[in-house]
Amino acid sequence: MRILIATVQVPFIRGGAEIHAEGLCDALHQAGHEAEILAIPFKWYPPEKILDHILACRLLDVTEVAGTRVDRLIGLRFPAYLIPHPNKVLWILHQHRTAYELWDHALSDLVYYPNGSQVRDAIEQADRKLIPEARAVFANSRNVAQRLKRFCGIDSTPLYHPPPNAEKFYYTEAEDFLFFPSRLCIPKRQELALRALAMTRNPVRLSFAGTSDHPDYTPKLESMARKLKIHNRVEWLGGINEDEKRSRYARALAVVYPPVDEDYGYVTLEAMLASKPVITCRDSGGPLEFVLDQTTGLITEPTPEALATAFDFVWENREQAAAWGRAGRVRYESLNLSWTNVIQKLLA
Amino acid sequence: MDQRNSEAARMKINWFCPLPPAKTSIADDYLVGILPALANQTELILWTDQSTWDRNLENLAPVRRYDPDRISWPELNQADVTFYNIGNNHLFHAAIWQVSRRHPGIVVLHDLRVHNFFDSLYRRQWSDVAGYLAQMKRYYGDEGLRAAKDLVNSGAANIDFMIEHYPLTPLALENCLAAVVHSDEAFARVAAMREWPVVHASLPRSLPPQHNDGASLRLMERPYRLIMFGYMGRNRRVDVVLKALSALPERDCFRLDIFGEIPDARSLRRRIAKLDLGHLVRLHGYTPETELNKALRTSHLAINLRYPTMGEASGSQLRIWYHALPSLVTDVGWYSSLSRDTVAHVRLEHEVADIQSHLRAFLKDPQPFAAMGQRSLRTLREQHNPERYVRTILDVAAAARQFRVRKSAYDLARRAGTMMGSWTSKASHEPIRIAEKICEVFGP
Repeated sequence: MRILIATVQVPFIRGGAEIHAEGLCDALHQAGHEAEILAIPFKWYPPEKILDHILACRLLDVTEVAGTRVDRLIGLRFPAYLIPHPNKVLWILHQHRTAYELWDHALSDLVYYPNGSQVRDAIEQADRKLIPEARAVFANSRNVAQRLKRFCGIDSTPLYHPPPNAEKFYYTEAEDFLFFPSRLCIPKRQELALRALAMTRNPVRLSFAGTSDHPDYTPKLESMARKLKIHNRVEWLGGINEDEKRSRYARALAVVYPPVDEDYGYVTLEAMLASKPVITCRDSGGPLEFVLDQTTGLITEPTPEALATAFDFVWENREQAAAWGRAGRVRYESLNLSWTNVIQKLLA
Repeated sequence: MDQRNSEAARMKINWFCPLPPAKTSIADDYLVGILPALANQTELILWTDQSTWDRNLENLAPVRRYDPDRISWPELNQADVTFYNIGNNHLFHAAIWQVSRRHPGIVVLHDLRVHNFFDSLYRRQWSDVAGYLAQMKRYYGDEGLRAAKDLVNSGAANIDFMIEHYPLTPLALENCLAAVVHSDEAFARVAAMREWPVVHASLPRSLPPQHNDGASLRLMERPYRLIMFGYMGRNRRVDVVLKALSALPERDCFRLDIFGEIPDARSLRRRIAKLDLGHLVRLHGYTPETELNKALRTSHLAINLRYPTMGEASGSQLRIWYHALPSLVTDVGWYSSLSRDTVAHVRLEHEVADIQSHLRAFLKDPQPFAAMGQRSLRTLREQHNPERYVRTILDVAAAARQFRVRKSAYDLARRAGTMMGSWTSKASHEPIRIAEKICEVFGP
């Protein structure tokens, strides 16, 4: 089949969504299909730009190229998933979140614009009306599926996929650090982890890997660590390559991943693949679909105090932490995540 | 936020309106009339830029003070919908209009013709003649610009002409989701603009107790008391009334009380003296509510003329009806639509003759006028009931989401049109294709 993967690209920003699209594209190639990623550039401010992007997507014709039919369009991200196609299947990573679950959240930007509610309603209208055009609607996770149902009344099926290079993750003995790999940005809540670190009883060490979306954000976090007087217990690794990342997972005592209402989150699955316990929060969304509290990790309140208690616990109870890590790996295996299954569903 | 879809939840409403004690009937008649029902059925927030307001209002709804340049958009966005009450007095409505231009909401239009508002706002308050001229050019092209320049260069001599020919209604509705109007004329004119959804709701007023027996008791007393009240601007025709009264042989059978602010009281007093009406006409100036109501209760006939009319329903007229008082009104605009059973009309081109004719008829037999007052009170009860009005407002509020989506579609079409204007020809099919796509996304 000739397949297009419709997504959006914010220039110079790379994260889980980009990896997801590439993983799907690779898997389709391996299954013998011709596949390409169609990435629409996306800008979300001022809010009316979002509506311009919706219109731009609706004006695209990707039903055929040079007289040859495009057999299927797989839509991943808003508003690219609104591109029309007679054989469209959606695998929604997330909707435009500030129009929905993040509307009245501290992370929202849309609500700060005078025309915020107008644009919010228009986005919802477009989603409600056009998502059902697809012949099947899948969601990246149960969390995303629940949001789609809650806000737009649209049913979808959660469809999990393995993180990239899942087979390459491994385990070694734990060293003296917790690992927090993620883009440095407010929704991932590195600030919360720093505040927690400042409240631990033990000399817990925390390694952050990842670059920031905004150039000012890394210095802000570093400055915060200095002000909290924990800078000598914090390591900023920046962008690291995949080998280094897997090595860090393998050697970590535990993986810290406390984002706000994450859609899916590779970090959880990668930690489980490396047989490491995951420390996450009750409002972290996607990770909660995989982490079992006090079985494969710890689920805490999203407060520095609660998170600090969890940090201290794994620091002081290493055998227990290792056991939870091993249980995480077993749980991962039981989920039977595979690209074969994903492709079978998306192309059915 | 998913609660926004729950019909059972009480709607959160932002209400921008002059608040008592602001000297406007929009505050003391209109708002006070509907507030109990509105606050009872919604989660209402009253927004004001006034430094003082009647603290009793806060028993019904919280009052938030704002500066139009520093208002909190998240707070406004958290409501289901925002209503803006816009009328002709820039002192009461300037800040409201400024917010309405940025945060789309529903405009309750208290005057159809708002040229006075923009003239006062741009030229007087902001000293921005260029801004005024630019708006006139924007809405009325070169012809409007020429007329505006004439007005600017020759003082206020032809403001009446400007109000009539260049009402600037679209500027008041510039960024709105929908309009609520109070007259058939306003409904027809706004609907004809084909830009905004428009809803007609009869102007509401709180109702008197059922046992009110109105004017019938007043007839025993002579001389008969005529009353005029409100802001006595040029369009209230005071001069014409004085002229008619002075030329009436039976004038001593009447007394005329004028309540309310008079922009040029000295000149009016001179006029009264010149017409030898000093013993018949009394100017009271601005009067507290209770005193004015007492005067209305003891009057026999109200004179409530307008020209030019600003085109919308009159709160003053409803106040007259509240007291079951017969009245003379100009046969223009909303007043023309009033039943001959409830008011006596004065033709614009025969003002003096018609006023005199009605006064003579009153002298000859006041009973039909008393009956007119009673019928007007019945009309007030039936058609201007605040509960009924609030039900309409809630219906409009419930459609806010739909209005916002509609506005997004229009805004998008406008942006696309502006963008394409430089490179598409009139013959091109592209604009139609784009319009169809916009309908596909945002249409019902």
